[in-house]
Amino acid sequence: MHAFLVRTAAIAHKELLHFLRDYQAIYLALGMPLVLVILFGYAVTFDLEQAGLAVADQDRSSASRRLVEALEASDAFRVDVVLQRPDEAAALFRRGKVKAAVVIPRGFGARLTRGGTAAFQLLLDGADGTVARTTLGYMSGISQAQTLQLLARAGLTADLPIETRVRTWYNPRQKSALFIVPGLVAFVLAIIAVLLTALTVAREWERGSMEQLFSTPVGRLPVVLGKLAPYVALGFLQMLLVVTAGAWLFDVPLRGSFLLLVLATALFLFCVLGQGLLISVVTRNQQVATQVGAMSALLPSLLLSGFIFPVENMAWPLQLVARIVPARYMISVLRGVLLQGRGLAQLWPDLLALALLGLLLVLGATARFKRRLD
Amino acid sequence: MKPEGPIIRTRELTRTFGDFVAVDRVTFEVDSGEIFGCLGANGAGKTTTIRMLCGLIPPSAGEGYVGGIDVSRDPEAVKRSLGYMSQRFSLYLDLLVVENLEFFGGAYGLGGAHLRRRIDEVLQQVDLDAERRTLTRALPGGMRQRLALASAMLHQPRILFLDEPTAGVDPSARRVFWRLIRQLSREGTTVFVTTHYMDEAEFCHRIGLMVDGRLVALDTPEGLKREHVPGQIFEMDGAQVHRALQLCRTLPGVLDVQPFGAAAHVRVDPGRLSAEQLKAALSGAGLDDLQLRAAQPSLEDVFLAVVEAGSRCRIPERPEGARGPGSRGPIPTERPAGARR
Repeated sequence: MHAFLVRTAAIAHKELLHFLRDYQAIYLALGMPLVLVILFGYAVTFDLEQAGLAVADQDRSSASRRLVEALEASDAFRVDVVLQRPDEAAALFRRGKVKAAVVIPRGFGARLTRGGTAAFQLLLDGADGTVARTTLGYMSGISQAQTLQLLARAGLTADLPIETRVRTWYNPRQKSALFIVPGLVAFVLAIIAVLLTALTVAREWERGSMEQLFSTPVGRLPVVLGKLAPYVALGFLQMLLVVTAGAWLFDVPLRGSFLLLVLATALFLFCVLGQGLLISVVTRNQQVATQVGAMSALLPSLLLSGFIFPVENMAWPLQLVARIVPARYMISVLRGVLLQGRGLAQLWPDLLALALLGLLLVLGATARFKRRLD
Repeated sequence: MKPEGPIIRTRELTRTFGDFVAVDRVTFEVDSGEIFGCLGANGAGKTTTIRMLCGLIPPSAGEGYVGGIDVSRDPEAVKRSLGYMSQRFSLYLDLLVVENLEFFGGAYGLGGAHLRRRIDEVLQQVDLDAERRTLTRALPGGMRQRLALASAMLHQPRILFLDEPTAGVDPSARRVFWRLIRQLSREGTTVFVTTHYMDEAEFCHRIGLMVDGRLVALDTPEGLKREHVPGQIFEMDGAQVHRALQLCRTLPGVLDVQPFGAAAHVRVDPGRLSAEQLKAALSGAGLDDLQLRAAQPSLEDVFLAVVEAGSRCRIPERPEGARGPGSRGPIPTERPAGARR
């Protein structure tokens, strides 16, 4: 037992020294998370702000002007171009000047005055699906508000038969950053842990030091545990870094238990470090390990984890694949603990899944880790 | 003090990789405290033999015992009793000298004050005490090899396996390294070393020669020379060496003729051709200004003779005596092809 600890500690210490002397690795481990928080926090946003809009007001009535004013008054839009004819919109779309155009036809105001229903047209550039969808949402809201105003002015009580009264829990102002940052913790840990550990064993195979290591009586469990230990510590550091940066820059809260966050991080680290180690053990080649590591960590953690796209909406084969993506469970726990204030009672299935996946990956890597040279 | 019997013993030790037989039924014994040299071209099976004996790859057939432990049954126990220096320099270049030693000490299960003392001792032994805090990357080749040796000695193994320890190291550093190996041997450590430097092989107590996976000769350096390069060797030097060579090939009693750098080596059977007779024959052909002096056979001569014989042995039942003087065809004047890495 004593020798076991001595050996594990020796390997962990050596691995830490490698890390501390590798500036690229330090940057990757500590700089990348911050860069990603800033990139994702500011860049990935589903909110519409001052989106350029083209308006063709063919009516030029007071009613049409009120509509245009209402559009401009909202934070979402800014009237960039005033069109003379509606068909000019096509050219604007093609040049990418605006992604939405509003056409108010002749007779818009007259119809309203007569008490009829007036329609205006919204042209959308569907090539950018996200913007098109969001524009549509905002536009419906503005149009509805206008309708209610008109009714009120006509002396009618503004009571619709069915009314939606929205109150968004956990993210009342519906800020994208609140949705992105918790997922980012899992994303950052997944990529960096897999990339760093994928190199550790492959590097030793390539440099020939693995042969020297195998000539000593050190067992594979001390090698595996010793190699993972520094990266577990590093993983916690990265988690704290991203959560702190998220709180500081984007007011991401911590509503649940910090201990639960630590537990989930530990389990998740076992998954991703085991994954990296498995790749390293199987490929024995730094270049291949990097590529396999990047692909197997980046894509599933980005696409199949619910980080940005909800897993529930995916085709069933993808949903099946997503079941073995550790990031998916981690993101669920992270949102649960940070935003929703959930506890162990609600999150245990995710934690169990992480524990099982982690065990499987670390044991798999250990089993595949042959201490012989053939 | 010395344990009874040989400390390394193999019987029909064999290793195949697919169809390729890397080590072919090798049988030998190494005594305690001996420096045992394993000589052979690259691909002859030296490294595979060492790796089997160190428990790094399992033998395909046959037996190997190191320190009385069966390498097939208990490779882990074997690892505890030996120190190994692999062919490539394989310590960590981004670690300090002392950090490398701390790591390998830890890998052998050493720790605390005991490890610190052992580190001091081995650094003294290999004369690297001054480089303790140097980054390994900054060490020259010779020092790196000594550091690798030091890290293989931390746990005081009775047996050291050194796989081409001096490859790519300059001659003076090689001499320093070999002084160390002989010192270790005097202190009772058994050293099993592979090399393709013939001058180094002279330092070994016994030498095993490997050709194509087989052990084709095994003896002391002197014994090998006596057996495989019999007769008297004369070194011929002068302007007309080339013509003299051609003449010598035709003389009765000449066993072998070889160019040797700018000079030539003529090996004769002293019972049939004396130095005077050789001189007379040469001056009879008008080759007077040649210098002729007696030379010792080198292990290189042995190596070439044995490799030649060894490759002949692959054709069954061909007696070695069938070889006549001058029948060897073109012979490389330097080391055998592939011997350099």
